[in-house]
Amino acid sequence: MAIQLGKEKSAAAPALDVGDAAYLKIRDLIYRISGIYHSEQKLYLLVSSCQRRMKTCDAASPAQYLEHLTTRPNRDAEVRLLLNEITIGETYMFRHPAQFDALRNVILPQIMEGKAALGIKRLRFWSAGCSTGEEPYTLAMFLLEEKEKRLAGWNFDILATDLNSNSLEAARAGIYGEYALRNVSEGLRQKYFKDAGSNKLEAGDRLKSHIRFDRVNLSDDSKMVFLKGIDVIFCCNVLIYFDLASKRRVVQHFYTNLVPGGYFFLGHAESLFHVDDTLRLIHFPGTTAYWKPPQGSAAGGTP
Amino acid sequence: MNEQQCALLEAQIGKIESVSTAPAILQPLLQMLRSPADEIRMESVVEMVSRDSAIAAQCLRMANSPLFGHSRVETVRGAVMALGIAKVRSLLFGLCMHQTIPKGKWVLDPTAFWRHSLGCALVTQTMARGIGYREPEKAYLAGLIHDIGFLVNSVLYPEKFRESFQHAVAEKCPVHVSEEPILGFTHEDSGRILCKRWGLPDELLEAAGCHHRLDVLPTAGPLVCLVHLSDLLCRVRNLGYGYDEILAVSLAQDSAWKHLLIAYPALAEIDLVRFTLDIEGSMDEIAALVDSVFAADRRAVPPTR
Repeated sequence: MAIQLGKEKSAAAPALDVGDAAYLKIRDLIYRISGIYHSEQKLYLLVSSCQRRMKTCDAASPAQYLEHLTTRPNRDAEVRLLLNEITIGETYMFRHPAQFDALRNVILPQIMEGKAALGIKRLRFWSAGCSTGEEPYTLAMFLLEEKEKRLAGWNFDILATDLNSNSLEAARAGIYGEYALRNVSEGLRQKYFKDAGSNKLEAGDRLKSHIRFDRVNLSDDSKMVFLKGIDVIFCCNVLIYFDLASKRRVVQHFYTNLVPGGYFFLGHAESLFHVDDTLRLIHFPGTTAYWKPPQGSAAGGTP
Repeated sequence: MNEQQCALLEAQIGKIESVSTAPAILQPLLQMLRSPADEIRMESVVEMVSRDSAIAAQCLRMANSPLFGHSRVETVRGAVMALGIAKVRSLLFGLCMHQTIPKGKWVLDPTAFWRHSLGCALVTQTMARGIGYREPEKAYLAGLIHDIGFLVNSVLYPEKFRESFQHAVAEKCPVHVSEEPILGFTHEDSGRILCKRWGLPDELLEAAGCHHRLDVLPTAGPLVCLVHLSDLLCRVRNLGYGYDEILAVSLAQDSAWKHLLIAYPALAEIDLVRFTLDIEGSMDEIAALVDSVFAADRRAVPPTR
């Protein structure tokens, strides 16, 4: 349902600074295909992504570019290229601090309580679609910091997977420039990184020792069924490339991969609306996640 | 809250006009709020707005906000026409609420309070429209005034309310949770009693009086359910009470959601992730509007009628 917050007039008269109504159609198309949504205020981001693609594929107008996305023979490829353009620049460390606040304030305490009752002091995280490794290294830093506080005496491991071998190789090397490190404080840099020359830093062994990199195709059912006992999954801007049926299958796998009471984070603007209703959407301050309710919990149960 | 406490609170609230600085237009405005919007003459609204230059200026700023449709209006009449009588009426009431608190008596940060109230008004109205609730303007008003009890508590019980608020900030918990043990009642109780005293419709009484505890109502009406959900949505998107709360909310599992879903099946078609992104997107505009409308003592040159 198209809901425009606070707009008195219907979509009939959107005072669109970004120019062309074709962009709204592209916005809706991208939302329908991938689940990525641009609010009116973020439309300019989509517009600049489109404009970069339009230059490359010689589309003279947004309306013409819309044709590239919908009626040309290579439309599927073009949609993928546009999605790449939309998510480019998303990969830097501590990209979404609100996710870590949710982990710190609600998710970790809750999962730890459940596990401690069973005498287990180990946590498992999975960065599914880790690309060049920014996400798993961020997670490792966050968890090592927590280990000095609440997580003292606990162990954790992080599984970091991607389909692309080149990305995985870069992730294993763990060498990053200023862009990827922009949100990493000086203190954390000193503590967890070492100098790699030419203004780059390399993730230190303390970080690397907690992460296992592996090549996994999320559509490979035979591999997916063996991943068990995960407490929290991060899968940001990966499912956007899947069609509805594959998306459903991956999410069902995630459900099985998670421990009861486990959580699953998507990218910030990604929606699983009408994709899955076994996982429960939970709103935290500044972020959302999906929760697998523990078995036997009341139908109305919330975390 | 027992009966004795309730009677005491009612007696205190009976004195609120004498200890606060309610503007002259409050009484005629309350009269107006009791009537259906389509029975109110535009002339009388224009006249009422024009009576107070500060209110007239605020009304114009509101009408020119992108949140209300990008109008460019320069006169009070133009503003009333652009916003509609129902919206102007809500806006005037908000401004009256604001003026009712004497300077220096605010316990909550007024900017945070108005961002939350205005955010809630917009979210409630948008959701109301989305599900096909027939009076979206009433939904706006309900969202706007749902926390009016905070103002009552600030004026009548400043010390204990301040203590409650500081406790909530320290514990990162909702304000009503710390009001109960410290004050003996919550802003819902005082809000409900004030709305009753002012003769506001029952649905608004419910919205102000039960938005955190729908379970006390035998049957929760759609308005209080909408306000309850909007309040939560605002609080998880940085439009809360101005401090960090620890919150984890499953809206679809909430009893308000389930109540609403029975009468308004269209609710199931709201993609909450997308809806939340729209709220996030509007945050800057809400902040800008609050800053321009409620910023302390911005008496502009009186606009023309």
